[in-house]
Amino acid sequence: MNKLPLIFVGIFLTFTSAWIGLVAYPTLNLGEMQPLPDEETGGVLPPTTSGLAVAGQKVYASSGCVYCHSQQVRWSPLSTDIAKGLGPRQTVARDYLREKVAFLGTMRTGPDLSNIGARQPDTNWHHQHLFEPRTVTDWSIMPSYRYLYKTQKIEGQPSSDAVQGLRGPHAPKLGYEVVPSEEAKALVAYLLSLKKNYKLPESPEPSEP
Amino acid sequence: MSSPNTPQEEPFNESQPENEVNIVNIHASILREREEPRDGYEPIPLWLITVFFAVIFWAGIYLAYYSGGFSKEVYNPDLVSWQGGGSAVAAGPPDPKVIGKRLYTQNCLVCHQSSGQGVAGQFPTLVDSEWVVGGDWVGDNHLVKVLLHGLGGPIQVKGATYNNAMPPWSQLKDEQIAAILTYIRSEWGNNALPITPEYVKTIRDQSQDRSDPWTQKDLKAIPSETIPAGGAAPAPAETAPSAPAEQPAA
Amino acid sequence: MNSPSLLSSLNPSTEPDALDSIERAEIDASTRIPVLLFFASAIFWLLVGSSLGLVSAWKMTNPALLDSFSWLTFGRLRPAHLNAVIYGWATPAAIGVGLWLTARLCRIPLLHSKLLISAAIIWNLGILLGICGILIGDGRSIEWLEFPAYSTPILFIAYAFIGIWTIIMFRFRKPGHIYVSQWYLFAAFLWFPWLYATANILLVWQPVQGPAQGAINWWYAHNVLGLWFTPIGLAAAYYFIPKVIGRPIHSYYLSILGFWSLALFYSWNGMHHLIGGPFPAWMVSASVVASMMMFIPVITTAINHHMTMRGHFESLQWSPTLRFIVFGAVSYTVVSLQGSSMAIPALNTITHFTDYTIGHAHLGLYAFFTMILFGSMYYIVPRLVGWEWPSATLIRWHFWLSAVGILLMVGALTLGGLLQGLALYDVASTFRSSLEFANPFRVLRGISGFILLAGQLVFAFLFVQMLLKLGAPKKGPALFTKPAEQTNDTVAI
Repeated sequence: MNKLPLIFVGIFLTFTSAWIGLVAYPTLNLGEMQPLPDEETGGVLPPTTSGLAVAGQKVYASSGCVYCHSQQVRWSPLSTDIAKGLGPRQTVARDYLREKVAFLGTMRTGPDLSNIGARQPDTNWHHQHLFEPRTVTDWSIMPSYRYLYKTQKIEGQPSSDAVQGLRGPHAPKLGYEVVPSEEAKALVAYLLSLKKNYKLPESPEPSEP
Repeated sequence: MSSPNTPQEEPFNESQPENEVNIVNIHASILREREEPRDGYEPIPLWLITVFFAVIFWAGIYLAYYSGGFSKEVYNPDLVSWQGGGSAVAAGPPDPKVIGKRLYTQNCLVCHQSSGQGVAGQFPTLVDSEWVVGGDWVGDNHLVKVLLHGLGGPIQVKGATYNNAMPPWSQLKDEQIAAILTYIRSEWGNNALPITPEYVKTIRDQSQDRSDPWTQKDLKAIPSETIPAGGAAPAPAETAPSAPAEQPAA
Repeated sequence: MNSPSLLSSLNPSTEPDALDSIERAEIDASTRIPVLLFFASAIFWLLVGSSLGLVSAWKMTNPALLDSFSWLTFGRLRPAHLNAVIYGWATPAAIGVGLWLTARLCRIPLLHSKLLISAAIIWNLGILLGICGILIGDGRSIEWLEFPAYSTPILFIAYAFIGIWTIIMFRFRKPGHIYVSQWYLFAAFLWFPWLYATANILLVWQPVQGPAQGAINWWYAHNVLGLWFTPIGLAAAYYFIPKVIGRPIHSYYLSILGFWSLALFYSWNGMHHLIGGPFPAWMVSASVVASMMMFIPVITTAINHHMTMRGHFESLQWSPTLRFIVFGAVSYTVVSLQGSSMAIPALNTITHFTDYTIGHAHLGLYAFFTMILFGSMYYIVPRLVGWEWPSATLIRWHFWLSAVGILLMVGALTLGGLLQGLALYDVASTFRSSLEFANPFRVLRGISGFILLAGQLVFAFLFVQMLLKLGAPKKGPALFTKPAEQTNDTVAI
């Protein structure tokens, strides 16, 4: 191995092999993937998401939710993800067509969020939870996202979007209310849009659970 | 080889003035260094070479079973592996019906159900359907075409009308399409001749210009044909793949 | 061309003598400013990165800690920690070690040092911008690529300078045998810009669709470890082990096998971070296979290093460089075999998504790579500043704080992660129990963070003393103990 050009060719080729398989291949195939027609509703799969939910993806990214929450359901019987109710089926590439960044995640310090919109469809629950997680789950180790909310004095009628049911040291005092910022609203819209429970032909639901 | 190597010069830095830039002085540490590293030439142990080949052998086996046939549609290798075969028990050549069933489970079951009955009003039945086993104006060529390019719009199956869309499955290999069709033509009381991969290839070549899903109207315009008995491909397909359109309808 | 030293060209002998020493002295002197610049900035970011990591670790057991500020939320501190350590500490330190090794092994004084000095400055500007960007909420939440789009081009430009420099150095190297460390250096310096550019183009500048991103993300992230840090770490181990003990590397043939199998298999490893994930089965299976194949380069390198060391283990008692390097080399074997085992789907299904993986990452980045970097610095820095390490006792403190700290951290995370993973896997178990299993181990991890940071502060203190040449001048090298009598004449560190 005293010939530098030979070494160069070698390190080039070995690297290229994986580059083709793990970069070029997904870019060309998965990167060009299209939604499927939805036979039941006449829409498309995965369903399109609202503008607010798209804005929420940015808040999700800038808050770093992905470091504790995955968004993928692994296949059975390799994993028990489906049996544990994370989703009705394995998530597949097409599920992430609507994501600017696919937040697959590598940690489940907190629960998987692939289907959080289906599991927890209540907007106020999410706001309560983001403002003070231990209001809804007293053993939660999620940090509070209070900085996405504003505590203000109630003037006249309480705001229609004020967060209900807050307790604890940061709960608003009498005559005050907590209202979500635009970012908080977007984040919750995004969370509610997370429903990977529609049927995709490439991901059959396991017949025998 | 294992004894300490040649002795070094002693550091000789005592008398130099502290702040004078003297390479030798500043780099006194270098003078007590050992030689630059060299290579020894012991051979590679035989056991390591053996392990190397054993690992490569294992890798080949593993990929055969868990690569999902290198398909971009297969996400769960337990459902479909190499050529649709491969299971915990991998003795003997895979049974084509088992392959067909696996592929059906993977690709078709969501709509047409495991019973083949479909969903009334939404997904047509495959059981004793003229689209599957032939009959009326529908031939085996139509069946393959539907698989390859999909089917849209209102269609009649066993007298009932369905208005829905079936996606194209042209990404599947000829062998896989043949396996699925053979399976659905022999399951649930159906009893029609197997479809061969060669026949699928013939049809695929014929209709490669087609990009949209078929409609019943378009299909009706094509004369029906039946795959020859014995599982052999139609004669023209073997010699002149460009001319199978002239294959006479049965 | 560029003949650095007339003297040294007169003597082609491989025996060490004064002429070779003078040549080396010239080379070392030429690397001084860029290498020290990279080292100093790296140590700064190490302290910053570790502090960020420490705070995030404590937030996991005490979620109310500092939770009123958006820029101190866990989801920003953690990526800031990772990026500060990866791009602020490990990469510049690796570049520093790599530059020095390249110059020495190519046997020419460092050319175009202005290129490198600019690279160091630009790089650190990029890091500063990137870390601040993450903290103010511009992070992209793409693991290992969190830096906002406005900082990555800066980093790339800086790196491009270094890549160009590498090619120049190898082009004008002194002819002769290309030593195994050089293969690794050459490969690493060329692989990294390719990795970094590809990943940034496809994920940050012109992002591909969501479905393709995970694969590219993990191809990149794993290869930063596998094709950038690992080759530099191995280059250093292949250089310093024979250098300090003064005997040749056991087998050239093992070196060749180890290098090429690493190049081929490591590059395919990335998808094992996505087992069961939303990618075609063959991609994941290919990575599982490649991860298992990593057994070959790892065991090959381990044999090669071990057989070189055989009969010289007593050197670990006196040489700081060797002790750190060997600790790193052994950790490399352990972490790689652990990594291969974690790619087995049956085990992965338990350990994936848990602290076990975090433990593995720290075993790789700290116990292996960082320890190798420390060891290399203990050898290189005295030769650049013309001053000996002021205190062997403090070096010993640094070693033991690092070793104990990292073993405690990895042990805690591994055990806690396993329990957490079993709870997550067990259908009858609740999510809450996974937290309760992991929690005591997370407290231990938080404690281990303090220990590691303490070790780093000792090291930073030593380094500053070296830069400023504080303390009384020492005649000999700083050694842990006096070497055995019969090797006294060959004390070479």
